[in-house]
Amino acid sequence: MSFYNGFLHLTNWLGNVIMPTMAGLLFAVAIVRYSKGYPWNYSMWAAVAALCVSGLLRAMETFSSQLAWNDPDLVWNALLNLINWVGNVFLPVYAGSQVVLAAATYVNVGHWMPGSAWLRHLTAAGLCLLASGVLRLAEFFVTNGTSGV
Amino acid sequence: MAASQCLAPRGEVKEMTNPPMLEDISRLLLALAAPAALLCLLLAGIALRREGGTNFSLGGGFSRWMFWTVVFITLPQLLSWFPSFGVPATPPSGGIGIGWMASVAADLTNFVTNFVVNRLAPVLAAFFVLRAVLDVADGSSPLGSVIAAMFLLSIPSTASLLRGWNNSTPNATADVLAALWTYVVSQILPIAAGLAIIAAIWAFWQNRRWMHYIAAAGGFLMVAALWQLIRRMMV
Repeated sequence: MSFYNGFLHLTNWLGNVIMPTMAGLLFAVAIVRYSKGYPWNYSMWAAVAALCVSGLLRAMETFSSQLAWNDPDLVWNALLNLINWVGNVFLPVYAGSQVVLAAATYVNVGHWMPGSAWLRHLTAAGLCLLASGVLRLAEFFVTNGTSGV
Repeated sequence: MAASQCLAPRGEVKEMTNPPMLEDISRLLLALAAPAALLCLLLAGIALRREGGTNFSLGGGFSRWMFWTVVFITLPQLLSWFPSFGVPATPPSGGIGIGWMASVAADLTNFVTNFVVNRLAPVLAAFFVLRAVLDVADGSSPLGSVIAAMFLLSIPSTASLLRGWNNSTPNATADVLAALWTYVVSQILPIAAGLAIIAAIWAFWQNRRWMHYIAAAGGFLMVAALWQLIRRMMV
C-alpha cells in the first residue's frame, strides 16, 4: 500500500465515478429549479462539468505543458495558452449562442419563455420525462467534444 | 568510537580503546534510528489530520515530524560530518556485543514494526475514516481525514521510499528532503490538481467562490516552473 496509489485511486474514483454519477442528480436539481422559476444555470453547468472532470484536468495539463516542466516561462506560457483558447475557441462558440439568442429575442421568444408559467411548467414536465435523455445527450457532447483543446 | 590517545606515565604515546559498553550503547541508539523514523511517520500522519486538506502549515507538526523522519533515516550520514568538526564520531561497526542490549534493540524494533506500524497505525487510519464521516456531518470537508488515513496505511512503503532516496553521502539529509520535494511536486500535486477541479465544480454548483480552486489546480501543475521562475528572478 503506497500513498501515491491511494491518492491516485481516490482522485480517479471521485473524478470518473462519483462526479459523472452526481451529474444526473445535478441535472435533476436544474430541472426542478427551472420548474419553480429559480436560477438553474449553476446546476446545469455543474452537471456538464461533472461529466468532464478528466477532460478539464487534461485541458489544464495541456495549457501548462507546452514548455519544459522546469522552464521559468511556463507560467506565462500557460496563461497565454488559456487566453488563446478562450479567445479563439470559447468566444466564437459563445458568439454563435449569442446570435441564436438574438434571433430568438427578435421573434419574441424571449418574451414568452421566462414570462409564461404554463410554458415553463410544460417544458419542465418534458425535461422531467427526458432527464435520462438529457444526461445521455450531455455525455454524448462531452464524449465527442474532446478535440476542443 | 575511534580509538583515542593518551600519555603513558613514562611519556610514550599509548593507544586507548573505547569501552565496549559505550560502543554498544552507540550501536543500540543507531539501531533504534529506524524504528524512531517509523514512529515519526506515525506522528506525521496524525499531524496531517490537523494540518492537512487544503492547509499545509510550514514548520507545523507534519513538516516537523517528516523532517525528523529524514534525519533518523540519514543519521549515519549526518554523523559523518562530525569528524570534519574535529569530533571523532565514526559510527561503530559490527553488531551489539552485550546480549541484553541486543535483545532490547531487537525487541523495540519488533514492537514498533509489528505493533505500532502493522497494528496500531491501521486502527488509527480506521478511526480517521470514521472521523471523515463525522466531518461531513459537521459540514466540513472529509478530505483531510481521508488523506491522513491513507498516509497512516502507507507508513511502511513511505519509509522504504525515503530509504531508497538515501544516497549515503554526507549530504544525504538534504538530498532526501530534495527528493521528497521533487516527488511531491511531480507525482502528488498533479493528482491534487484533479481534486482541485472537482472542488471547483462543487463550489460552482453551490454558488460559492470557485476560481481559487482552478488557480490552485493550475499552480499544482506548475510548481516546478514557479520554483525555476523564482530562482531566475534572483539572478
